[in-house]
Amino acid sequence: MVKLEDIADLGLLQAPLKADPTTKAATALERVPSNYKSLDTFALPKDRQYQQQFADIYFLRLTKIKPAVEQIAYEAWEDTVLGGDNAKKVERVLDVRQGELCWVAGTVYMDMPLKPSILEDVSKDRWISAPTSVDHYYSEDGRDQIMLEDDSGRIRLVGEPLKNYFLVTGCIIAVMGTENANGEFEVIDLKFADLPPQPPRWALSDKDKKTKSEDLSMIDISAPSKRIAIVSGLGFSGSSTAYSAELKVLKEYLAAQALDAKTQSSEQSKISRLIIAGNSIAEATSSDPHSNNPSTKTHTKKYGYDASSYNPLPSQLLDSFLSELLPSLPITLLPGPNDPANSSYPQQPIHSAMFPESRYYGPTPSLPDEPGWLDATTNPFESEIEGWRVLGTSGQNLDDICKYMDNPDRLGLMEAMCRWRCSAPTAPDTLWSYPFQDDEPFVMKECPHLYFVGSQPKFDSKVIEGPDGQMVRLILVPKFSETREVVLVDTETMELSVVRLSAE
Amino acid sequence: MDTYLKHLSETVLAEDKVVDYLLLSQALQVPVNTAKQMLYEFHRTQNVKRPGSVHATYLIYGVKHNNNSQNGTDEEMPDADSVTDAVPVYHLHLVAEEKLGDVLAEYEEVTTIHVYSVAPHPIKDMALLADLAHEVRSSDKKVPPNIVNPNVRTRERRGSGLKATNASVATVKQQPKVDSKIKEEPEPAEEAKSAVKTEKTAKTTSSAPAKKPAPAKSAGIMAAFSKAASLPKKEPKSSKSASPAVTETNTPALSDEDDDEEEMPQPKPRVKPGFKTKKQREEDLRRMMEEDDEEEASTSEGAETPEEPEPEPEPMEVEEEAPEPVQEEKEVVETTGNGRRRGKRRIMRKKQIMDEQGYLVTIQEPGWESFSEDEDLPPPKVVKTTSSASSTQASKVKKGAAKGQGSIMSFFSKKA
Repeated sequence: MVKLEDIADLGLLQAPLKADPTTKAATALERVPSNYKSLDTFALPKDRQYQQQFADIYFLRLTKIKPAVEQIAYEAWEDTVLGGDNAKKVERVLDVRQGELCWVAGTVYMDMPLKPSILEDVSKDRWISAPTSVDHYYSEDGRDQIMLEDDSGRIRLVGEPLKNYFLVTGCIIAVMGTENANGEFEVIDLKFADLPPQPPRWALSDKDKKTKSEDLSMIDISAPSKRIAIVSGLGFSGSSTAYSAELKVLKEYLAAQALDAKTQSSEQSKISRLIIAGNSIAEATSSDPHSNNPSTKTHTKKYGYDASSYNPLPSQLLDSFLSELLPSLPITLLPGPNDPANSSYPQQPIHSAMFPESRYYGPTPSLPDEPGWLDATTNPFESEIEGWRVLGTSGQNLDDICKYMDNPDRLGLMEAMCRWRCSAPTAPDTLWSYPFQDDEPFVMKECPHLYFVGSQPKFDSKVIEGPDGQMVRLILVPKFSETREVVLVDTETMELSVVRLSAE
Repeated sequence: MDTYLKHLSETVLAEDKVVDYLLLSQALQVPVNTAKQMLYEFHRTQNVKRPGSVHATYLIYGVKHNNNSQNGTDEEMPDADSVTDAVPVYHLHLVAEEKLGDVLAEYEEVTTIHVYSVAPHPIKDMALLADLAHEVRSSDKKVPPNIVNPNVRTRERRGSGLKATNASVATVKQQPKVDSKIKEEPEPAEEAKSAVKTEKTAKTTSSAPAKKPAPAKSAGIMAAFSKAASLPKKEPKSSKSASPAVTETNTPALSDEDDDEEEMPQPKPRVKPGFKTKKQREEDLRRMMEEDDEEEASTSEGAETPEEPEPEPEPMEVEEEAPEPVQEEKEVVETTGNGRRRGKRRIMRKKQIMDEQGYLVTIQEPGWESFSEDEDLPPPKVVKTTSSASSTQASKVKKGAAKGQGSIMSFFSKKA
């Protein structure tokens, strides 16, 4: 219970000192620097082709993850004897023999009647131009089937243990059991690859920092506190002003204009980087009510194109939002499903032409290795921020997985993705994806320290641990347009805080 | 009265405007934190003078009560999962002064509070405040930065966009004034067009430019031109059928026809083809040297279109393969009447056959070919006419044979 009288002495609720105007700007705050390395794990070649088949993705993924799964499975089931049978390893799915206790690794395929199927589309002569918007793929009547496949064949999995795990198309698992009379594989136990090896902090940065941080402990409490702000779903809109005041306050908060000098120096200036995890622009409404725009907003610039078919306001608002923060705050910008970027995974960076004002903070062509002050990245993106390996997406990967289950536990699924070692297992089955040929970047080769997923319905977070002492901070970043929340991550302690904005 | 109070009373009371601390900071060029205090002081003094004349909004930053009913749903969720950390939630709350008391009651602790904006009337819709940002942006002045980052990097701005467009506009405008001579030379298409315009000379000049266009475009341009030459009325249509680039470059040429007519003779010297590769040229030269000695082959071969003797999987021209000195010697000469020398010579013929596995195999096999060295006589008849290629070759030979061995210039001019 706070009363106005109690806080009247907080400083700003008093007349300015007479001397103030003369000493202006003498004590401008300095923002903490950001140690940042952007990795181009998910960058696609500029001259990419789309004629390849998608099968290579599954093949590459299986090739990459299978050894790890088999290693874990071997350790777990090496001496398993059931009913006098010793569990044997079977190389291929097709080699499973009826009645023999064995274990085999492969790719999960979920056969779901409600799942969109390209074959069905073709047979019905239906060509969709946008990713499907089906709410969920699971069907209540239990018609869904779980298959295990590899390049040799496919076998249906049945059994009680399957109910204890999240399984989606594309994750690599090892199963132990027997083939029953129906040709189905009775699963007795099931193993994942679990977390990949985690690089030490500052693994990519220069040696000085590395040795320095090795001297100290992994997490250095005494180091000056830095934070990164993660926000998602800013949803700049041309038609709705429902939360424009919050956006303005957010900008002022991040730019250290709002609040008092004490908070500015102790909190706001410690924000070393802003990560915008997708959906910076609101979902396009089919009938853009231009006429309903508040009159004050329509005086913005007009270009030579037909303004009735295209509303430039959202990207202009985003551009000015970025350009007002950029002078002091470096920004990482991920594209999201609503942003002007390609819709298939991995989304490529939003083109700098979208930001006539902000693009001068973009990467310098002469320094290709240096990430831009405004770093428009891919989605998903991988980077090293303050020495921590950070993996982030704008949410499509998680949203798509959630469609496979009834009442999904989003944080649990995030954890499952890490344990599957795959950041987008459902690509390319239900998540649109580029047909990779030579590399499958969704496989987590190295375990991130921080893994965030944007555009989620609400904030949540937890820390998971791996068998080799890996620690991953998982964050569900909520949509700002719905929750008005910004997530702050302390880059020394990995502790979080949330700033919730409201205006009434 | 302080200047800021005067400024505020002018804008807020007289002009009936909403002013937030950023606008004030920008207008008076004072630090944002000072501007917040100025707003507070203005709000206080004005309401002392006349209560209710100025309405403020406040920005509150602090922590709310955990078990507050309004935010209960949000706060309780993390507790459900024991694994989830209890994450501190800070609230940044923009509130009108009318609701300030109620809102403050929800807070456990307020770290900061300041006046956000003042207005002559209560603010009903906070979106109005968002519009102030446009005002700040549209002004020339900058809000004094409250925070700096010494590490900021920008891309070097190479000239302003405005200048660049101006320059390009200027050059575009100048272009039509430039003497068309300069423009025409690199554009065969223009010449073709101008030839169309001068209908009298159309037929004579047409052959010259028509031969020149670049190989890629030539089909389109030539088609357009030949049509135009015969049917001048259809000229615009046919020019459209050519590539758009050609149509574009044509327009300035049309504006000054008179010049075009004067220029007409100019293109002729450029008839020489510029498209031969080095290899081709070397090949030509080599053949020419060879054939100087051997009269018999020179006439027919010199006139031929030089084709690269690549081992293509199609029947090659017989004559091309022939001039191997070793083979030439194996002539069986049958001298007939009129002093002509006729005969057969042994040559290596390329033959394409399909082997038993269905592959196309090109083999060389020896064969005999008749020849005639007399200039006045019809071309040598190919004894083994294996394909249509060799027959067309024969017709070409005929053409060359008729003309005979002219100067070296005629050798070049044939190949256009």
